[in-house]
Amino acid sequence: MAKDVQFDSEDEEFFGSVGSFGVPKFDNEMRGGVPRGFTMIAFTDIGSGSELFAKQFVSPAEEAENTIYISTNEGQAEIVRIFQKYDWPLDINVRTIGEEYNSNVLEKELLASRYRLEGFRLEDIQRLAQTRFVEESNQDYLTEVTNEVMALGPYFRAVLDSLDFFLQRDDPARVIAMVRMLQAHAQLYRGLLFISVSTDGLSPKVKQELSSIADMVLSFQVRTVGTDFETSMIVSKFRNAPENLKILVFRVTPEEGITPETVERIA
Amino acid sequence: MNLRALGVSFPMQPVGMYSRDRCVTGVHGLDEILRGGIPYGSTVLAAGTCGSGKTTLGMEFLVRGANAGEACAHFTATEPSVKLLENIRQFGFFDMKMVDTGLINVFDMDVLYSWLGLEKSSFDLDDVHSLIKSIVDIVNTIGVTRLVIDSVTTLCYKIKSEQLIRDFLFTLGKKLATLGCTTILIAEITSATQNAHWSSFGVEEAICDGIIVLGDIERMGHLLRFLQVVKMRGTSHSRAKHAIELTPLGVMLTPMLKWGAVNDNLNRWGS
Repeated sequence: MAKDVQFDSEDEEFFGSVGSFGVPKFDNEMRGGVPRGFTMIAFTDIGSGSELFAKQFVSPAEEAENTIYISTNEGQAEIVRIFQKYDWPLDINVRTIGEEYNSNVLEKELLASRYRLEGFRLEDIQRLAQTRFVEESNQDYLTEVTNEVMALGPYFRAVLDSLDFFLQRDDPARVIAMVRMLQAHAQLYRGLLFISVSTDGLSPKVKQELSSIADMVLSFQVRTVGTDFETSMIVSKFRNAPENLKILVFRVTPEEGITPETVERIA
Repeated sequence: MNLRALGVSFPMQPVGMYSRDRCVTGVHGLDEILRGGIPYGSTVLAAGTCGSGKTTLGMEFLVRGANAGEACAHFTATEPSVKLLENIRQFGFFDMKMVDTGLINVFDMDVLYSWLGLEKSSFDLDDVHSLIKSIVDIVNTIGVTRLVIDSVTTLCYKIKSEQLIRDFLFTLGKKLATLGCTTILIAEITSATQNAHWSSFGVEEAICDGIIVLGDIERMGHLLRFLQVVKMRGTSHSRAKHAIELTPLGVMLTPMLKWGAVNDNLNRWGS
């Protein structure tokens, strides 16, 4: 039986039925914003601006403690730098899985390689003789991230940038199951969830499954025009609003970040 | 020049009287069985059934060495070191200061595996070589002269090929011998009767320089522990079964009398 979540009438009024993408011009193009409860999947090209869009998406942060930005590639310092640059709120929850993985797993692997190649030094041996227990290192980041997002309350806002980290290390079926759970949670709690995944190396089957789970599918693309790069965002799925399917060419400005310039309707 | 003609006398000596230096185990009765101790640098397999006193024997071997100021190392794979040290504290011969001062260095194999990135179910050739390198490194760096691995059976379960187990034991034994380290490899066996193998994988007993078997024998309704030195290269030794008593003061060995055993045909103790 589905869980029954009670929403406060004041909250309903405050949050409304749609939330902002964090990009005003994009909100206008999408007839007000993104409906509460939506899960967005963005298929991205390298260098297409999706990381900036992901950060911009959490910037409205209606409730900072109910907002989370999960990055698998960037470090805390870099994220803070971008938020400061655009004057976006700094009190949201940020988790940097990539950094955690580097310190918990990769550093350990590097040290193991050093021990195997160069052997133990006296101080290593003394420490080894005094170490009685194995440090727990089998962290299941997929479960942790799922639990972290599912712990968020009504009207949450969450970004997972990107799914590549999990698809490269876990069984894709497990990753898709996680996305399904998150989508159900977003729907139930009227949350807004943005997940990015790069198109390079993504299997058509996984892409198809992710597209079918998502309420909104975006593609971030980059191409060369003359001597310039042209970045665009394609809205190829918008549940129950096919009129929103569009191609938006955008540029990045120092004031507003991602800024759509020209719009072309698909349907 | 004929020295005899010059009146220089020679003591009568049979050819091959050379005797190897010994690592005096200090275990009551064992050095007598081995005619002075284990030849230095030997790798000895201490194979026994569960509860036969293998770990206590190995630990006492280290403690006696530490008492003489030798650096000792114990690699434990069958129980956590915390538990091992708690269990061994009940024996009067053991003093925790030996661990605190670094005379006896106890290493958890699980921790060593983790440090080497060997947290896997089976080891390949590279893994085996890094394990050997690490053990040899430790022995070399802190000048270990007495080493116990408890148990080599648990360790070898991770090495899937018999050839690799052979290489592992042979290379490890050779390197430790070069460093002058006398090693006891503890092995778990299910039966210590005369037809049994003295090792789980069949190759340990052939590679090692010595085999000490520990087991139980039923005698007049009592289960007695026994110890028997089956093989020891580089020394003559008694091959008789000896009764083991695990006393608060340590292991005590006494010759076993040839009477009173149940199933005497199967258990030819004292032969």
